Amino acid sequence: MKSNIRSTVKTFRWQQWLVVAMFLLVAGFTAFKAVHMARKVIYWQTHRDEPIHGWMSVGYVAHSYRVPPYVLYLALGLPHKPPDKRPLREIAKIQHRSMDEISAVLQNTIIHARPPYPPPPTPPPDQSPAQGASP
Amino acid sequence: MNLTDHLLAALLLYGLPALFGMTMIAAIGAPLPTSLMLVAAGSFVKQGEMTLWQVIIVTSTAAVLGDQIGYGLARWGGRSLVARIGRKIGGEAKIRKTVALAKRWGGPGIFFSRWLVTSMGPWLNVTSGIAEYPWRRFILWDVLGDVLWVVLNVMLGYIFSDRVQAIAEVFGNLAWVILGIIVAVILGWKIIQYLRSQESVTKNDLPNRDQASRPW
Repeated sequence: MKSNIRSTVKTFRWQQWLVVAMFLLVAGFTAFKAVHMARKVIYWQTHRDEPIHGWMSVGYVAHSYRVPPYVLYLALGLPHKPPDKRPLREIAKIQHRSMDEISAVLQNTIIHARPPYPPPPTPPPDQSPAQGASP
Repeated sequence: MNLTDHLLAALLLYGLPALFGMTMIAAIGAPLPTSLMLVAAGSFVKQGEMTLWQVIIVTSTAAVLGDQIGYGLARWGGRSLVARIGRKIGGEAKIRKTVALAKRWGGPGIFFSRWLVTSMGPWLNVTSGIAEYPWRRFILWDVLGDVLWVVLNVMLGYIFSDRVQAIAEVFGNLAWVILGIIVAVILGWKIIQYLRSQESVTKNDLPNRDQASRPW
């Protein structure tokens, strides 16, 4: 059987070699993607919190980290009503702060809004618009 | 911010019109991460920022419209172009074979490329148009597949609404793995076919192996 395959391989022309090369390339790429996917699945099974990115809104961060949204709005000096839908990157630009700074403020607030810290108090009735607030 | 971040930010700011535009452009052939947009839209539905039925109707309509544009352009423009190229550089027989194959397997191909192997979608629109796959059947498979794709992704985003990025990372890779497996199986099958044909040639003990029929 082995010698049969060997003798058949000897008859390969460039077309056959091209198909074999394409097969190896596709198989390698698929294996790479499968391993990458498996690593992501394992990672996300043990990490519930997503890193904060510029596209996220304050509402999404609050939802993702399971903290009351008004806590994060207050930390950024924004009114919590009506909900501000702008991406964090936009808020950072208007407030003349870097995205890292905004992210650090939110992370710090999230830590203090979750156990073992006591739950945050009930939201204040209304906020006066602060710097970078929605019109 | 990379392109994906810009698109997600646009989705947050402009909502349904942004989702409509991105989905339609992607259905025509632009490589935009629309599945991720749908997952994000599902998350926004869960947070009360979007309405489920609106997202499903708007996105399905955009996807079907984009597919129709791709199909139409190929059918009324691409076919004559391919025929001209075929006449000039040869390969008319191969084109005829491809067209016949597209007509035979068009339906399931269109359906599965809408929601399972989405990166193939725009290509299938073009090949269906060139093959003059019946428009009524094309739109039937197209609507079925697109609605399924939209509902699956939006519901995924709705269920895992706090983990949009995680879902996008895992399922973005899954789509490539599925496509890779399909292509690898086809290529592997071609290799096995060739090896078998050569084996039968050896068994029959033909005097000149180079004269033997080759499957490809």
